[in-house]
Amino acid sequence: MTHFFKPLLAAATLCATAITTPTATLADEWTPPGPITMYVGFAAGGGADTQARLIAQGLEEKFGWTVIPQQAPGNSGLNLAAELAKAPADGTAIGMVVSETLSYSSQAAGDPAFDYENFTSLATTAEFQLGLVAMANGNFDSWDKVMGAAEAGTPIRFAAASDRHADMAWHLGQQVGIDFNIVEVRGGKGVMDGLRGGDVDIGWVAGAQSGPVQQGEMVNIARGIESPLANSPDAPMITELGSDYLLDGYFMFIAPGDLDPAAREALGEAIRDVAEDSETDANGLLSKAFGGPAVRTGDDLDSYMTKANAEAAELIKAVSE
Amino acid sequence: MTDLLNYIGLGIMAVLNGPALFEIGGIGLPVALVMLAAGLFTGIAVGATPGLAGPMAMAISLPLLISAFGFTPDALLPVFAFLIGIMKGATLGGAVPAILFNLPGTPDAMMTTLDGHPMARNGQPRRALRIAQLSSVAGDSFSDIVLFVCAPFLAVVVESYLDLPEKTALLILSISFIAAVMGASVGKGLLSVGLGLIVAYIASGNDLTPRLTMGFDALDAGVPLIAAILGVLIVGEIFATLETLWRNNRALDVKTETHGTAQDGLAPGDLKRITPVVVRGALIGTVIGALPGVGSTLAATLSYSLGARRARRIAGAQPFGSGAPEGIAATEAANSAVSGANLIPVLSLGIPGNAAAVFLILAADSIGGFNPGPAVFAMPEGETNPQLVVAFGIFTLMAIGNLLNWTVGGAVMRSMSVLARVPATRLLPVVLLVSLTAIYVQETSMFAVWATLAFGVLGYGMRRLAVPVLPFVIAFILAGPLERSAREAFSATGADPWFLFSSPTSVILLLMAVAALIFLGRDG
Repeated sequence: MTHFFKPLLAAATLCATAITTPTATLADEWTPPGPITMYVGFAAGGGADTQARLIAQGLEEKFGWTVIPQQAPGNSGLNLAAELAKAPADGTAIGMVVSETLSYSSQAAGDPAFDYENFTSLATTAEFQLGLVAMANGNFDSWDKVMGAAEAGTPIRFAAASDRHADMAWHLGQQVGIDFNIVEVRGGKGVMDGLRGGDVDIGWVAGAQSGPVQQGEMVNIARGIESPLANSPDAPMITELGSDYLLDGYFMFIAPGDLDPAAREALGEAIRDVAEDSETDANGLLSKAFGGPAVRTGDDLDSYMTKANAEAAELIKAVSE
Repeated sequence: MTDLLNYIGLGIMAVLNGPALFEIGGIGLPVALVMLAAGLFTGIAVGATPGLAGPMAMAISLPLLISAFGFTPDALLPVFAFLIGIMKGATLGGAVPAILFNLPGTPDAMMTTLDGHPMARNGQPRRALRIAQLSSVAGDSFSDIVLFVCAPFLAVVVESYLDLPEKTALLILSISFIAAVMGASVGKGLLSVGLGLIVAYIASGNDLTPRLTMGFDALDAGVPLIAAILGVLIVGEIFATLETLWRNNRALDVKTETHGTAQDGLAPGDLKRITPVVVRGALIGTVIGALPGVGSTLAATLSYSLGARRARRIAGAQPFGSGAPEGIAATEAANSAVSGANLIPVLSLGIPGNAAAVFLILAADSIGGFNPGPAVFAMPEGETNPQLVVAFGIFTLMAIGNLLNWTVGGAVMRSMSVLARVPATRLLPVVLLVSLTAIYVQETSMFAVWATLAFGVLGYGMRRLAVPVLPFVIAFILAGPLERSAREAFSATGADPWFLFSSPTSVILLLMAVAALIFLGRDG
């Protein structure tokens, strides 16, 4: 009986989709003209890298596309953007960065080639669960201890994985009167490896710390986002500690500029499909380590990027004064 | 402790419970095991073919393996399995033509010809092969056990005692040591290291405009890793060998043939005779192997000459060079013991010591999800460290590889003697073609192919001028970590320009680097 109904059901769904969302057919018709190279703007083996690779795996499994992840880390994602700018705008080259790559970092670089309007934003996957992280039971496992150590004259090594993170560390230091030794490392994994090895004392991590925090290995001594952290609801917001700004943002996929709208929609919706489907490994990771999927696409994403760029301009002005 | 046992268990399961390639009688054969066996047999064949060596086979198969298994973490173990199989097989296979035809199949089997071939000429080729197999596998197994114990320990020590400036100093020490011990002179070693660093620093670093590209757009993304390494190591070697063959009018042809007599095979008392020699050889090989850059040829030479000296002192002992089983055992145990110990600095520090290790790092780098270095052995509370599982998976594969070498290795070895007859003049052009195709498959750009050929010419020139090529490759790989740790150390010390001299440990490491250059160098 089922095998009789199945084609009927499929046809009915197809018609329904065609009627209700005419653009969906446009996107449905789009298939990548070849294997997709997925540039990953994060160090291999870290949380964000794993996220990108699981999304790639999900796209392959759900859509039958070939997706080849390729590392392009460094320079807060701008190395990836530079790589992507040279790639064909036909949907065969996409990259995973963070929203600040095309807002704060591109503005700070001062190169108009990196302007967010020269790229196509496809979809976000998760919002930062940004915390200021330290080893549990160490010398810096609370903000009070950090302040105390600074007053005692101990140099404090502050790890940051991007220019914006580094500038925010500097800004926070200026507001509270601490001259941090700011160390730029590769990704949240670099921050956590540095903490474990005793190479740095505190650092910003945007979600990958949730496992170690749940296990009691590390602590969030503060948070950089508006809503309380899932694992450390008591961690104070950095604006409460003296910062004028928050450190929020998204993990997101981008493509070269002037991408065919059908390709943009198809890719964006495909990423949404993988991220939001509770059957996929990508969804499992997003829920476990990144506070759940947070997918924004199309105009909604464009308006967020415009807002993020306005805020970034403000922060850059503040730290360069 | 229970954590450690858990990880060992997970590592073994990762190998045995991996996806099955095919089923025999309802039992699935895990793909990693199949790849290990395939790699091992390939390795024995490659080792048994004069003119081919393990690293060459690893280089060619790596791009093909990656295009077959993809870039997911699941690909790590099958790819490593094949490469480790080649590494282990080639050390074993190198003895075959050395014994049967007086032709070393791999450079480190040179010393095996000295006693192996006379024994074979005396009508006992099977006995010689059997002794070579037993000593080689014993040396290899011993050195692997040292690796399993030492690598995690060393990594933990390094991570907990070394701060950023000291890590930078350690990398400087490694590079200096390699420059000092490899090749004809310190000057040439340093030249090679310097070239490797310069090439690696093209278009890397933190600047948004790629540096050192001299305006060539093709260099904007840097020199393709695989093109530089394969070009210098493999293509350069092919060019140099082809030229030698051309000049010597195919002098590498097979000379003597041997036939077994009725009482061929392991003689009674052989095992007792070779045991002490094997133990000594394994120790020498392991110690030498753990130092980056010091090759298996040195280990074999050292172990052989020590053995020969002892044989001269003991009355009634069979002198080396006349087909003494101890001679074969001393060489084979030592050169095989190098391969396991060589991975100690690779896994614990990310510092490769020989060409085989270079390709394992290259594999990890290309696939992603596994970064050889201290972080591999971190045991975060409660959370599973996937890299540690992979590390124990690799250890499991090595142990199973040894088991295969013990059991079926001998039979495979004996069947490979026919390969020594393949003329190198036919073989090398095929290898060249396959290498270039493999590079194109991975990089899908003609630029990578041209770059490989250019580096091949560089490698050829370096060989002709007696500049060692391995320091180039190792410096090329370590350039990134060196710059990164120096940058991090600089900022962590509050922008102190003298950060390298900020602690006694780092000063000692730097002094050791200088001492290595002064005292370990040899005059060209």
